[in-house]
Amino acid sequence: MVAFSNGYLVDNLTEALKIRSEFEVTPYAGGTDLMVEAKDDAVYLFLNKIPELRRIYSDDEYIRIGAACTYTEIFENTLTPQILKDSIDYLAAPAIRNMGTAGGNICNASPKADTALIFYVADAKLRICSASGERILPIEDFYVGRGKTVLQRDELLVEILVPKFGLEHYYYKKVGARQALAISRVAFAGLFSTENGIITRFAMAFGSVADTILRFRDLEALFVGKTMTEAKSLRDDLIAKYDQAIVPIRGRVSADYRKSVCMNLLEDFLNQNGI
Amino acid sequence: MNDLIHFTLNGEKVTSDRSANERLLDVLREDFKLTGVKCGCKEGECGACSVLLDGVLANSCMVAMGSIEGSEVVTIEGYSETKRFQALSDAYAQTSAVQCGFCIPGMVLACEALLAKNPNPTDAEIRKGISGNLCRCTGYNAIVEAVKIAAREGKGLW
Ligand SMILES: Cc1cc2nc3c(=O)[nH]c(=O)nc-3n(C[C@H](O)[C@H](O)[C@H](O)COP(=O)(O)OP(=O)(O)OC[C@H]3O[C@@H](n4cnc5c(N)ncnc54)[C@H](O)[C@@H]3O)c2cc1C
Ligand code: FES
Ligand code: FES
Repeated sequence: MVAFSNGYLVDNLTEALKIRSEFEVTPYAGGTDLMVEAKDDAVYLFLNKIPELRRIYSDDEYIRIGAACTYTEIFENTLTPQILKDSIDYLAAPAIRNMGTAGGNICNASPKADTALIFYVADAKLRICSASGERILPIEDFYVGRGKTVLQRDELLVEILVPKFGLEHYYYKKVGARQALAISRVAFAGLFSTENGIITRFAMAFGSVADTILRFRDLEALFVGKTMTEAKSLRDDLIAKYDQAIVPIRGRVSADYRKSVCMNLLEDFLNQNGI
Repeated sequence: MNDLIHFTLNGEKVTSDRSANERLLDVLREDFKLTGVKCGCKEGECGACSVLLDGVLANSCMVAMGSIEGSEVVTIEGYSETKRFQALSDAYAQTSAVQCGFCIPGMVLACEALLAKNPNPTDAEIRKGISGNLCRCTGYNAIVEAVKIAAREGKGLW
């Protein structure tokens, strides 16, 4: 371990968790969110040189992405699903992609976070560790509100577990102000699969409309297990239900606008899948 | 007693006694007098502060000193000693790709990072490669042209 003034650098996870439990520190992965409003009194725990947080590998069920892997590393890895690559391709510019990490994107807890949106729709799970143990939870359960998560002050996000299967048929659109460096105005991700004419997977996530990324499993369930014909007859009803469910941040004109874009993207997603 | 921060800067081993939360940009400009590293925004938006950090393009305003312990930093001052720089510099001159010059150190390093990965980039790939580097003067066309010339005339360098 190296102890600087205002920062600790370690080269293994065990030590990082020990420091996290003993001191009041801010985890620092790529710094691309933290450094925008860098505080003079911040004490950082640097995660960027911890091998356990920088590997990508797969087991039977999941692609496991280390929380401190940079966007560039994820993009260039052959295990990475295409939907995640697409979101990275539209994210910021090379220098930010070289430093920014998926773990930072998730932990920053912004509803605009582009890769977090993909992890949402993909049913990803988060592996969170502390010196005394670990827990794995669905990404939806990680967020409490804008910038707020259930991460405890002695915990670190260690890995993102992305299911290996069912991500092939996807829809991803980011409608932003500028091509590069566009913090997403509106982003939408959808997954759709059928087997023998029956819908087996139907999932949608909406970024940048509310305080957190949105996903409505109860509404998705209306389509799962249905035939295409049944889904078509339920289409209008489904759209009406989403229109009700998505409540944009109150009092912001831009939020209303973003909601209409979301609804248009939802319809386009249904159209493209023949519903 | 706090530890010093050790890193390699333009090929030389150096140390810094700055706080781990300070910006690499400020340390390069103020302590090492490497003023080719420009400050345009301190928000990661303009790319004027670009350096090569362990071989990849990074905005030095977004890098806290503690994160670079043991790392290698190359600024435009170090890069300008290389043959690759000469090829890019000649190409920039041919297309008059430099006006006020403020963006150029960062821009050149972005071009280096691009060519190192992709020695024969298309127009679209070049524009993507420099998309984080803002230039208020040239409108980018001359820069894109220069990268193509450098790739051609500097064949074998990348
Ligand atoms: C110019 C610019 C453009 C950008 N464009 C986009 C964009 O298009 N889309 C987008 O989604 N984002 C964008 N961002 C935001 C940012 O780059 C991303 O959110 C990035 O993923 C943050 O990762 P990081 O490693 O840099 O985070 P850091 O700044 O290191 O950390 C962010 C937060 O997460 C916490 N944290 C990090 N890692 C862990 C961990 N393992 N365990 C616990 N807590 C942790 C930190 O304490 C901090 O609170 C942009 C930023 C800039 C400066
Ligand atoms: S000063 Fe670093 S990106 Fe503008
Ligand atoms: S030449 Fe002036 S900003 Fe690029």
